[in-house]
Amino acid sequence: MNAPERYELILVPEGVSKLTVTPDAKLPNCVTIKFEKEDHTLGNLLRAQLLKDSRVLFAAYRVEHPLDHSFILRIQTIDGIEPKDAVSEACRTILIQLDQLKQRFDSEWELKKISGEGMMY
Amino acid sequence: MTTPSITIQTLAPDNVQFVMSGVDLALANSVRRIMQAEIPTVAIDLVEIERNSSVIPDEFLAHRLGLVPLHSEDIDRRLQYTRDCDCEQYCDKCAIVLDLHARCTDDSTMNVTSDMLVSSNASGEFGTPLPGILLAKLRREQEIRLRCIAKKGVAKEHAKFAPVSAVGFEYDPHNSLKHTEYWYEEDAAAEWPLSRNAGWEEPQEYDYNREPEKFYFDIETVGQIPCNEVMRQSITYLQQKLAVVVQELAER
Repeated sequence: MNAPERYELILVPEGVSKLTVTPDAKLPNCVTIKFEKEDHTLGNLLRAQLLKDSRVLFAAYRVEHPLDHSFILRIQTIDGIEPKDAVSEACRTILIQLDQLKQRFDSEWELKKISGEGMMY
Repeated sequence: MTTPSITIQTLAPDNVQFVMSGVDLALANSVRRIMQAEIPTVAIDLVEIERNSSVIPDEFLAHRLGLVPLHSEDIDRRLQYTRDCDCEQYCDKCAIVLDLHARCTDDSTMNVTSDMLVSSNASGEFGTPLPGILLAKLRREQEIRLRCIAKKGVAKEHAKFAPVSAVGFEYDPHNSLKHTEYWYEEDAAAEWPLSRNAGWEEPQEYDYNREPEKFYFDIETVGQIPCNEVMRQSITYLQQKLAVVVQELAER
């Protein structure tokens, strides 16, 4: 009776945007971004990467409620860089790392397949 | 930023064990999460039952059919999500239709297995079930006639879509980072067995600032997607998520 639809974990409904950026009322260069239909997979990853940036003063994420399928990310940066841009840069850095990871996995896989003919494969 | 690297330890048709290094814990964990929850596969989603005189109730049978793994290699090019397709209900571009007609005609027990599912619109191996999975048993005169509609989905929607059965994930087998504390009666080292991965690392002196760096993965796939594809696709889907974030931020 109260069961939510399966797609509610994934599909962003009509009229709702995937990301909502809200500037913080009190602090400068501080922003809260709400990610719809995303979870720790993105949240923790972005948070960890943002904390590595020395220009980021504050970065944290929180899943407000487990039944809500969204999380908020709060970022504060030093003067000179927009928090949004810090997030974009963090994403790009991770994308590059993932590309390298994929290439390394592919080459390692090919190597193992060729050299490991006698293995369990 | 250290460069990521992978070293494969063992390889089998449905299992790969490797070490991932040069990444941080958040990235390794996110890759693992995607692998378990967000890689799309095809699985039976709707069952239209015409006749079922077996002892297995309709819903029980439909549930078992949903759990049958279907070959899903290269799914992104072959099948769309039904909700994204512009057809009404379903069509060839967003669903695979499988039929099952089984009727026991002799006195011995007939085993209805997954290889009896016949696809009417599969191309090549894509969409065909993994063989040998027992669905029901029939006695003389019992019959099952049904039509299954298989659709694309992810494990977040329903666990039947999961391409992996289990993903082993470990780091710091010697607990040199002191991320955990072992419960013990007399001697923790004597009472806790060493992990299989303990041979790949040396115990190190405790350093407060050291971060986990080597991650031991043990991926066991179900069979819909080969294990190297599972790993590649988890990276690809994670990249897609990040790309969406970058794009959305650029628009705001």
